[in-house]
Amino acid sequence: MSPGAPRVHLYGAGEAMLAFGPQTGPQLLVLQPLFEEMNRARALIVAICRALGERGIGCWLPDLPGTGESLTALDTTSWQDWCDAVPLAVAAIGGGFTGSVGFRGGVLLDHAVPGRRWRFAPTAGRSLLSDLRRSALASGSDPATPAGYHLAPGLTGPLSTADVGADDNARTIRLVSDDRPADRHIEGVPVWRRPEPEQNLALARLLSDDIAIWAMA
Amino acid sequence: MPGAVTIEDQLRAILRDVLGVDAARADAIDDDTPLFGAMPELDSMAVAGLLTEIEDRLHILIDDDEVDGDMLGSFGRLAAFVRAKSGA
Repeated sequence: MSPGAPRVHLYGAGEAMLAFGPQTGPQLLVLQPLFEEMNRARALIVAICRALGERGIGCWLPDLPGTGESLTALDTTSWQDWCDAVPLAVAAIGGGFTGSVGFRGGVLLDHAVPGRRWRFAPTAGRSLLSDLRRSALASGSDPATPAGYHLAPGLTGPLSTADVGADDNARTIRLVSDDRPADRHIEGVPVWRRPEPEQNLALARLLSDDIAIWAMA
Repeated sequence: MPGAVTIEDQLRAILRDVLGVDAARADAIDDDTPLFGAMPELDSMAVAGLLTEIEDRLHILIDDDEVDGDMLGSFGRLAAFVRAKSGA
């Protein structure tokens, strides 16, 4: 197996969790963006995890219930199921757990993480749901199943009011184009908006450098 | 205010970031530039991302029933809509 190859672990009731990098040193739980944004940001996040692995930092990417390789159906998954999955993933990481790294809507789940939190471009649940609804309206599909996602009321209800609060334990990074409060604003494009998944190595380098310094502190 | 970033500048940056329009093309966009139906990158799916990004960056909320072909017909009309919404 090549050094950069990810491992597959299980957590909770058999959910899958991809892991990059060494199992010694700082270990980070990576909370990916939600819905379509996850696919669009996937290449960026994997590039960041590989870069962190090369610097001696382990990264763990759980599939939330109802997503990825999950055996659970998304249409029976609630927001609480996602919140409950986070501490189970932390437990599976073990004693080396250092903190969480959240991207976009993934940050909405980091309140369930013990310890330190690093956040990139956090967004409110209302905004994510508006985006899904508009995509459905624009493409003429049923707004109840936007972009093919069958979402339970138990997920959309709490998500619609979920937002990221100020947190002394969190470091927040945003793009310069987003003037909301952050510890640092960096140059880059919002890859999660691009319909065609796009690699952006410059952005991956900026973010992995910032995470590495934060994780080692 | 000299050097202030206008709504038009912000909208050009959003079109660049969301649609992948290059800087030269984005700079050439003026009030008369047609958008929806004329700009190939701006398909119906991209409209969703464009509107959400406008909301986030310009701190406004856009209702579904405010979105139509007229509001997205040209760059000038989109800018006028955003200006009215933001009270600028």
